[in-house]
Amino acid sequence: MHLHLRIPSLLLVWLLIDGCWRPALPEPPTSGDTYRPVYAAVADIRTIQTLPPQPLQNAGKIYIKDQYLFINEVGRGIHVVDNRNPARPVPLSFVSIPGNQELAIKDSILYADNVLDLVALNIADPATVRVVKRIENAFPYSSYPLATNVRFECPDPTRGIVVRWEKATVDNPECYR
Amino acid sequence: MHRLLLVLSLLFLLSCNKDGGSPTPGTGIGGSTARFTVSDNTLYIVGATSLQAFDITNSSNPIPGAKTTVGMGVETIFPYRDKLFVGTQTGMFIYDITQPARPKQVSVYTHIQSCDPVVAQGNYAYVTLRSGTNCRNRTNNSLDVVDFSDLNNLKQIGSYPMKNPHGLGVDGKLLFVGEGEYGLRILDVSNPAVVLPIQYIDSVKAYDVIPYQNRLIVTSPAGISQYSYATNQLTHLSTLPVQP
Repeated sequence: MHLHLRIPSLLLVWLLIDGCWRPALPEPPTSGDTYRPVYAAVADIRTIQTLPPQPLQNAGKIYIKDQYLFINEVGRGIHVVDNRNPARPVPLSFVSIPGNQELAIKDSILYADNVLDLVALNIADPATVRVVKRIENAFPYSSYPLATNVRFECPDPTRGIVVRWEKATVDNPECYR
Repeated sequence: MHRLLLVLSLLFLLSCNKDGGSPTPGTGIGGSTARFTVSDNTLYIVGATSLQAFDITNSSNPIPGAKTTVGMGVETIFPYRDKLFVGTQTGMFIYDITQPARPKQVSVYTHIQSCDPVVAQGNYAYVTLRSGTNCRNRTNNSLDVVDFSDLNNLKQIGSYPMKNPHGLGVDGKLLFVGEGEYGLRILDVSNPAVVLPIQYIDSVKAYDVIPYQNRLIVTSPAGISQYSYATNQLTHLSTLPVQP
Protein backbone atom coordinates (compact mmCIF):
# COMPACT_ATOMS: atom_id res chain seq x y z
CA MET A 1 0.00 0.00 0.00
CA HIS A 2 2.72 2.40 1.02
CA LEU A 3 4.64 1.60 -2.12
CA HIS A 4 1.60 2.35 -4.28
CA LEU A 5 1.29 5.73 -2.69
CA ARG A 6 4.97 6.50 -2.94
CA ILE A 7 5.40 5.90 -6.64
CA PRO A 8 2.73 8.38 -7.81
CA SER A 9 3.99 11.04 -5.39
CA LEU A 10 7.56 10.51 -6.62
CA LEU A 11 6.27 10.79 -10.14
CA LEU A 12 4.51 14.01 -9.28
CA VAL A 13 7.68 15.44 -7.72
CA TRP A 14 9.68 14.37 -10.76
CA LEU A 15 7.18 15.96 -13.11
CA LEU A 16 7.26 19.18 -11.11
CA ILE A 17 11.05 19.31 -11.16
CA ASP A 18 11.12 18.36 -14.80
CA GLY A 19 8.66 21.11 -15.58
CA CYS A 20 11.02 23.65 -14.04
CA TRP A 21 13.97 22.51 -16.10
CA ARG A 22 12.22 22.53 -19.43
CA PRO A 23 10.29 25.74 -19.81
CA ALA A 24 7.52 25.77 -22.40
CA LEU A 25 8.54 26.86 -25.87
CA PRO A 26 8.71 30.65 -25.82
CA GLU A 27 6.26 32.67 -27.86
CA PRO A 28 7.75 34.37 -30.91
CA PRO A 29 9.03 37.81 -29.92
CA THR A 30 7.16 40.75 -31.37
CA SER A 31 9.83 43.38 -30.76
CA GLY A 32 13.58 43.64 -30.18
CA ASP A 33 16.53 43.09 -32.47
CA THR A 34 16.06 41.81 -35.97
CA TYR A 35 18.77 40.31 -38.15
CA ARG A 36 19.46 39.97 -41.85
CA PRO A 37 21.69 37.28 -43.35
CA VAL A 38 24.81 38.24 -45.30
CA TYR A 39 25.40 35.79 -48.12
CA ALA A 40 28.50 34.65 -49.95
CA ALA A 41 28.70 32.57 -53.09
CA VAL A 42 29.70 28.97 -52.42
CA ALA A 43 32.75 29.59 -54.63
CA ASP A 44 33.88 32.51 -52.41
CA ILE A 45 33.49 31.13 -48.90
CA ARG A 46 36.82 29.32 -49.07
CA THR A 47 38.78 32.40 -50.17
CA ILE A 48 41.21 33.46 -47.44
CA GLN A 49 43.27 36.60 -48.00
CA THR A 50 45.71 38.74 -46.05
CA LEU A 51 44.69 42.38 -46.38
CA PRO A 52 46.11 45.63 -44.99
CA PRO A 53 44.73 46.60 -41.54
CA GLN A 54 40.96 47.10 -41.61
CA PRO A 55 38.73 49.12 -39.27
CA LEU A 56 37.57 47.32 -36.13
CA GLN A 57 33.77 47.15 -36.33
CA ASN A 58 32.28 44.20 -34.50
CA ALA A 59 34.99 42.77 -32.25
CA GLY A 60 34.52 39.17 -31.15
CA LYS A 61 36.93 36.74 -29.48
CA ILE A 62 40.46 37.79 -28.57
CA TYR A 63 43.67 35.76 -28.37
CA ILE A 64 47.25 36.56 -27.38
CA LYS A 65 50.41 34.83 -28.50
CA ASP A 66 53.89 36.23 -27.87
CA GLN A 67 53.84 39.89 -28.84
CA TYR A 68 50.75 39.53 -31.01
CA LEU A 69 47.15 40.27 -30.21
CA PHE A 70 44.50 38.67 -32.43
CA ILE A 71 40.99 40.13 -32.59
CA ASN A 72 38.14 38.35 -34.33
CA GLU A 73 35.95 40.53 -36.53
CA VAL A 74 32.70 38.60 -36.18
CA GLY A 75 31.93 36.64 -39.35
CA ARG A 76 34.73 38.26 -41.35
CA GLY A 77 38.20 37.33 -40.14
CA ILE A 78 41.02 38.26 -37.79
CA HIS A 79 42.88 41.50 -37.06
CA VAL A 80 46.58 40.85 -36.34
CA VAL A 81 48.05 43.46 -33.99
CA ASP A 82 51.65 44.02 -32.89
CA ASN A 83 51.25 44.35 -29.14
CA ARG A 84 54.89 44.65 -28.05
CA ASN A 85 53.96 47.95 -26.49
CA PRO A 86 50.45 47.55 -24.97
CA ALA A 87 50.27 51.32 -24.60
CA ARG A 88 50.50 51.60 -28.37
CA PRO A 89 49.21 48.50 -30.20
CA VAL A 90 49.89 48.60 -33.95
CA PRO A 91 47.53 46.82 -36.39
CA LEU A 92 49.62 44.78 -38.86
CA SER A 93 47.14 43.06 -41.14
CA PHE A 94 43.66 41.64 -41.50
CA VAL A 95 43.16 38.02 -42.42
CA SER A 96 39.86 37.76 -44.27
CA ILE A 97 38.15 34.45 -43.32
CA PRO A 98 34.44 34.29 -44.27
CA GLY A 99 32.23 33.20 -41.37
CA ASN A 100 35.07 33.28 -38.82
CA GLN A 101 34.28 33.51 -35.10
CA GLU A 102 36.88 31.41 -33.30
CA LEU A 103 40.65 30.99 -33.17
CA ALA A 104 43.47 29.27 -31.30
CA ILE A 105 47.20 29.05 -31.95
CA LYS A 106 50.03 26.55 -31.55
CA ASP A 107 53.55 27.48 -32.67
CA SER A 108 53.07 29.65 -35.76
CA ILE A 109 49.85 27.93 -36.84
CA LEU A 110 46.48 29.57 -36.27
CA TYR A 111 43.35 27.38 -36.32
CA ALA A 112 40.14 29.08 -37.39
CA ASP A 113 36.61 28.23 -38.43
CA ASN A 114 35.77 29.18 -42.02
CA VAL A 115 31.99 28.66 -42.32
CA LEU A 116 31.94 24.84 -42.63
CA ASP A 117 35.66 24.15 -42.58
CA LEU A 118 38.48 24.14 -40.06
CA VAL A 119 41.56 25.84 -41.52
CA ALA A 120 45.18 25.84 -40.33
CA LEU A 121 46.96 29.07 -41.26
CA ASN A 122 50.69 29.74 -41.10
CA ILE A 123 51.05 33.17 -39.46
CA ALA A 124 54.87 33.29 -39.23
CA ASP A 125 54.65 36.36 -41.44
CA PRO A 126 51.42 38.22 -40.53
CA ALA A 127 51.63 40.13 -43.82
CA THR A 128 51.33 36.93 -45.87
CA VAL A 129 49.25 34.35 -44.05
CA ARG A 130 49.06 31.00 -45.85
CA VAL A 131 46.48 28.20 -45.62
CA VAL A 132 48.46 25.03 -44.80
CA LYS A 133 45.51 22.69 -44.23
CA ARG A 134 41.75 22.71 -44.69
CA ILE A 135 39.46 20.13 -43.11
CA GLU A 136 36.25 20.41 -45.07
CA ASN A 137 32.86 20.15 -43.39
CA ALA A 138 34.30 20.05 -39.87
CA PHE A 139 31.33 22.11 -38.65
CA PRO A 140 27.60 21.88 -39.28
CA TYR A 141 26.01 24.68 -41.30
CA SER A 142 23.78 26.86 -39.14
CA SER A 143 21.47 29.14 -41.03
CA TYR A 144 20.31 31.23 -38.07
CA PRO A 145 21.82 33.97 -35.86
CA LEU A 146 23.73 33.02 -32.70
CA ALA A 147 21.44 35.14 -30.53
CA THR A 148 18.22 33.57 -29.30
CA ASN A 149 14.82 35.17 -28.80
CA VAL A 150 15.33 37.30 -31.92
CA ARG A 151 13.55 37.64 -35.23
CA PHE A 152 15.33 37.43 -38.56
CA GLU A 153 14.86 37.37 -42.30
CA CYS A 154 14.59 33.72 -43.32
CA PRO A 155 17.69 32.70 -45.28
CA ASP A 156 17.17 31.98 -48.97
CA PRO A 157 19.43 29.05 -49.97
CA THR A 158 19.39 30.11 -53.61
CA ARG A 159 21.25 33.31 -52.67
CA GLY A 160 24.29 31.48 -51.29
CA ILE A 161 25.77 30.52 -47.94
CA VAL A 162 25.10 32.68 -44.86
CA VAL A 163 28.50 33.87 -43.60
CA ARG A 164 27.30 36.27 -40.91
CA TRP A 165 24.28 38.13 -39.58
CA GLU A 166 23.88 41.85 -39.26
CA LYS A 167 21.44 43.74 -37.11
CA ALA A 168 19.07 45.49 -39.46
CA THR A 169 15.52 46.66 -39.79
CA VAL A 170 13.61 43.83 -41.42
CA ASP A 171 10.06 44.31 -42.63
CA ASN A 172 7.90 41.53 -41.29
CA PRO A 173 10.65 39.05 -40.29
CA GLU A 174 9.16 35.58 -40.62
CA CYS A 175 11.81 33.55 -38.83
CA TYR A 176 12.53 33.65 -35.13
CA ARG A 177 14.64 31.78 -32.64
CA MET B 1 75.91 18.73 -16.22
CA HIS B 2 72.29 19.27 -15.23
CA ARG B 3 73.04 22.83 -14.28
CA LEU B 4 74.69 23.41 -17.65
CA LEU B 5 71.61 22.04 -19.43
CA LEU B 6 69.38 24.29 -17.36
CA VAL B 7 71.49 27.35 -18.21
CA LEU B 8 71.51 26.40 -21.88
CA SER B 9 67.76 25.91 -21.98
CA LEU B 10 67.20 29.20 -20.17
CA LEU B 11 69.43 30.92 -22.72
CA PHE B 12 67.43 29.25 -25.47
CA LEU B 13 64.16 30.50 -23.99
CA LEU B 14 65.55 33.99 -23.58
CA SER B 15 66.76 34.03 -27.16
CA CYS B 16 63.24 33.11 -28.29
CA ASN B 17 61.65 35.90 -26.30
CA LYS B 18 64.15 38.52 -27.36
CA ASP B 19 63.35 38.09 -31.03
CA GLY B 20 60.39 40.25 -32.00
CA GLY B 21 59.71 38.27 -35.18
CA SER B 22 58.13 34.86 -35.62
CA PRO B 23 55.82 33.32 -33.06
CA THR B 24 57.58 31.02 -30.60
CA PRO B 25 56.74 27.33 -30.10
CA GLY B 26 53.78 26.56 -27.92
CA THR B 27 50.28 27.86 -27.47
CA GLY B 28 48.77 31.28 -26.77
CA ILE B 29 45.94 32.36 -24.50
CA GLY B 30 42.29 32.92 -25.31
CA GLY B 31 39.44 34.45 -23.38
CA SER B 32 36.88 32.65 -21.20
CA THR B 33 34.25 32.65 -23.95
CA ALA B 34 36.42 30.68 -26.42
CA ARG B 35 35.15 27.58 -28.19
CA PHE B 36 38.64 26.69 -29.50
CA THR B 37 41.56 25.86 -27.22
CA VAL B 38 44.94 24.20 -27.49
CA SER B 39 46.42 22.00 -24.77
CA ASP B 40 49.90 20.71 -25.62
CA ASN B 41 49.50 18.79 -28.87
CA THR B 42 45.72 18.76 -29.09
CA LEU B 43 43.24 21.31 -30.39
CA TYR B 44 39.86 21.03 -28.67
CA ILE B 45 36.72 22.54 -30.19
CA VAL B 46 33.30 22.67 -28.59
CA GLY B 47 30.23 22.77 -30.82
CA ALA B 48 26.66 23.27 -29.64
CA THR B 49 26.53 19.77 -28.08
CA SER B 50 29.95 18.18 -28.58
CA LEU B 51 33.67 18.27 -27.84
CA GLN B 52 36.05 17.34 -30.61
CA ALA B 53 39.81 16.70 -30.42
CA PHE B 54 42.27 17.33 -33.25
CA ASP B 55 45.81 15.96 -33.01
CA ILE B 56 48.23 18.82 -33.75
CA THR B 57 51.52 17.09 -32.86
CA ASN B 58 52.51 18.40 -36.27
CA SER B 59 50.93 21.82 -35.90
CA SER B 60 50.58 22.30 -39.67
CA ASN B 61 48.63 19.11 -40.03
CA PRO B 62 45.61 18.90 -37.67
CA ILE B 63 44.08 15.41 -37.70
CA PRO B 64 40.46 14.97 -36.57
CA GLY B 65 40.13 12.70 -33.55
CA ALA B 66 37.44 11.61 -31.12
CA LYS B 67 34.16 13.54 -30.93
CA THR B 68 32.39 13.33 -27.56
CA THR B 69 28.79 14.31 -26.85
CA VAL B 70 28.68 16.78 -23.95
CA GLY B 71 25.04 17.85 -23.72
CA MET B 72 22.84 20.78 -24.58
CA GLY B 73 23.93 24.39 -24.91
CA VAL B 74 27.71 24.01 -24.84
CA GLU B 75 29.33 27.45 -24.90
CA THR B 76 32.92 27.65 -23.67
CA ILE B 77 36.08 25.62 -23.08
CA PHE B 78 38.98 26.38 -20.74
CA PRO B 79 42.10 24.19 -20.39
CA TYR B 80 43.82 23.88 -17.03
CA ARG B 81 46.62 21.39 -16.34
CA ASP B 82 45.31 17.93 -17.37
CA LYS B 83 41.68 19.06 -17.35
CA LEU B 84 39.23 20.80 -19.64
CA PHE B 85 36.47 22.94 -18.12
CA VAL B 86 33.45 23.12 -20.37
CA GLY B 87 30.78 25.75 -19.72
CA THR B 88 27.24 24.91 -20.82
CA GLN B 89 23.84 26.44 -20.26
CA THR B 90 23.07 23.81 -17.63
CA GLY B 91 26.37 23.47 -15.83
CA MET B 92 30.11 23.01 -15.84
CA PHE B 93 31.64 19.76 -17.06
CA ILE B 94 35.19 18.72 -16.20
CA TYR B 95 37.06 16.44 -18.61
CA ASP B 96 40.27 14.59 -17.85
CA ILE B 97 42.72 14.78 -20.76
CA THR B 98 45.49 12.56 -19.40
CA GLN B 99 44.88 10.72 -22.65
CA PRO B 100 44.59 13.82 -24.83
CA ALA B 101 42.85 12.13 -27.75
CA ARG B 102 40.13 10.75 -25.49
CA PRO B 103 38.68 13.39 -23.14
CA LYS B 104 36.90 11.65 -20.28
CA GLN B 105 34.12 13.33 -18.35
CA VAL B 106 34.98 13.19 -14.64
CA SER B 107 32.70 15.76 -12.98
CA VAL B 108 29.56 17.78 -13.50
CA TYR B 109 28.47 20.89 -11.62
CA THR B 110 24.86 21.64 -12.51
CA HIS B 111 22.97 24.87 -11.96
CA ILE B 112 19.95 26.67 -13.30
CA GLN B 113 19.84 27.41 -17.01
CA SER B 114 22.06 30.37 -17.80
CA CYS B 115 25.11 31.46 -19.75
CA ASP B 116 28.22 30.49 -17.90
CA PRO B 117 31.87 30.68 -18.85
CA VAL B 118 34.32 29.05 -16.45
CA VAL B 119 38.00 29.49 -15.57
CA ALA B 120 40.14 27.52 -13.14
CA GLN B 121 43.14 28.03 -10.89
CA GLY B 122 44.57 25.81 -8.16
CA ASN B 123 41.75 23.51 -7.06
CA TYR B 124 39.05 26.06 -7.77
CA ALA B 125 36.77 26.78 -10.69
CA TYR B 126 35.17 30.19 -11.05
CA VAL B 127 31.84 30.05 -12.86
CA THR B 128 29.69 33.03 -13.73
CA LEU B 129 25.96 32.74 -14.32
CA ARG B 130 24.24 35.40 -16.35
CA SER B 131 20.65 36.26 -17.02
CA GLY B 132 19.40 37.68 -20.29
CA THR B 133 17.20 36.98 -23.22
CA ASN B 134 19.83 34.79 -24.85
CA CYS B 135 20.36 32.76 -21.73
CA ARG B 136 16.86 31.58 -20.71
CA ASN B 137 17.67 32.83 -17.22
CA ARG B 138 15.77 35.91 -16.24
CA THR B 139 16.95 36.72 -12.76
CA ASN B 140 20.09 35.05 -11.52
CA ASN B 141 23.50 36.69 -11.93
CA SER B 142 26.29 35.31 -9.83
CA LEU B 143 29.87 34.17 -9.46
CA ASP B 144 30.10 30.64 -8.07
CA VAL B 145 33.33 29.26 -6.65
CA VAL B 146 33.62 25.48 -6.92
CA ASP B 147 36.26 23.37 -5.16
CA PHE B 148 37.18 20.50 -7.48
CA SER B 149 39.95 18.94 -5.37
CA ASP B 150 37.70 15.87 -5.09
CA LEU B 151 36.38 15.32 -8.61
CA ASN B 152 33.77 12.90 -7.31
CA ASN B 153 32.41 15.49 -4.95
CA LEU B 154 32.47 19.03 -6.30
CA LYS B 155 31.76 21.58 -3.61
CA GLN B 156 30.37 25.06 -4.09
CA ILE B 157 32.30 27.08 -1.52
CA GLY B 158 30.88 30.46 -2.39
CA SER B 159 28.37 32.35 -4.50
CA TYR B 160 28.42 36.09 -4.99
CA PRO B 161 25.82 38.30 -6.65
CA MET B 162 26.90 39.88 -9.94
CA LYS B 163 25.14 42.30 -12.28
CA ASN B 164 25.47 40.71 -15.74
CA PRO B 165 28.75 38.76 -16.05
CA HIS B 166 29.87 37.89 -19.61
CA GLY B 167 33.47 36.73 -19.23
CA LEU B 168 36.09 36.30 -16.56
CA GLY B 169 39.79 35.69 -16.02
CA VAL B 170 41.99 34.80 -13.06
CA ASP B 171 45.68 35.51 -12.47
CA GLY B 172 47.18 34.75 -9.07
CA LYS B 173 45.16 36.50 -6.40
CA LEU B 174 43.15 38.61 -8.85
CA LEU B 175 39.90 37.68 -10.56
CA PHE B 176 38.46 39.94 -13.25
CA VAL B 177 34.80 39.83 -14.27
CA GLY B 178 33.43 41.62 -17.33
CA GLU B 179 29.97 42.78 -16.25
CA GLY B 180 28.85 43.75 -19.76
CA GLU B 181 27.07 47.10 -19.81
CA TYR B 182 27.56 47.38 -16.05
CA GLY B 183 31.34 47.55 -15.99
CA LEU B 184 34.41 45.67 -14.90
CA ARG B 185 34.93 44.07 -11.53
CA ILE B 186 38.21 43.15 -9.82
CA LEU B 187 38.10 40.69 -6.95
CA ASP B 188 40.64 39.28 -4.53
CA VAL B 189 40.71 35.46 -4.60
CA SER B 190 43.77 34.92 -2.40
CA ASN B 191 41.37 32.97 -0.20
CA PRO B 192 38.98 31.33 -2.70
CA ALA B 193 36.52 30.60 0.13
CA VAL B 194 36.14 34.32 0.83
CA VAL B 195 36.23 36.37 -2.36
CA LEU B 196 36.65 40.07 -1.64
CA PRO B 197 35.96 43.11 -3.82
CA ILE B 198 38.92 45.29 -4.80
CA GLN B 199 37.64 47.62 -7.48
CA TYR B 200 34.49 48.11 -9.53
CA ILE B 201 34.67 50.34 -12.58
CA ASP B 202 31.25 51.14 -14.01
CA SER B 203 32.64 53.45 -16.71
CA VAL B 204 34.14 50.54 -18.67
CA LYS B 205 31.71 48.26 -20.46
CA ALA B 206 33.45 44.90 -20.39
CA TYR B 207 32.63 41.59 -22.05
CA ASP B 208 35.50 39.09 -22.14
CA VAL B 209 38.87 39.57 -20.44
CA ILE B 210 42.36 38.06 -20.63
CA PRO B 211 44.65 38.77 -17.67
CA TYR B 212 48.26 37.90 -18.40
CA GLN B 213 51.55 39.09 -16.92
CA ASN B 214 50.06 42.11 -15.15
CA ARG B 215 48.19 43.18 -18.26
CA LEU B 216 44.48 42.93 -18.78
CA ILE B 217 42.93 42.86 -22.24
CA VAL B 218 39.21 43.72 -22.29
CA THR B 219 36.68 43.50 -25.10
CA SER B 220 34.03 46.19 -24.95
CA PRO B 221 31.56 47.85 -27.31
CA ALA B 222 34.06 50.73 -27.58
CA GLY B 223 36.89 48.49 -28.73
CA ILE B 224 39.77 46.48 -27.29
CA SER B 225 41.22 48.10 -24.18
CA GLN B 226 44.39 47.23 -22.29
CA TYR B 227 45.23 47.92 -18.67
CA SER B 228 48.08 47.29 -16.30
CA TYR B 229 47.22 45.69 -12.96
CA ALA B 230 50.74 45.63 -11.56
CA THR B 231 49.57 47.64 -8.53
CA ASN B 232 46.27 45.71 -8.07
CA GLN B 233 44.46 48.75 -9.44
CA LEU B 234 43.79 49.16 -13.13
CA THR B 235 45.78 51.70 -15.12
CA HIS B 236 44.53 52.30 -18.64
CA LEU B 237 47.20 51.73 -21.30
CA SER B 238 45.40 51.90 -24.63
CA THR B 239 42.18 51.32 -26.58
CA LEU B 240 41.89 50.14 -30.15
CA PRO B 241 38.58 51.81 -30.95
CA VAL B 242 35.67 50.33 -32.83
CA GLN B 243 34.97 52.49 -35.86
CA PRO B 244 31.35 53.22 -36.66
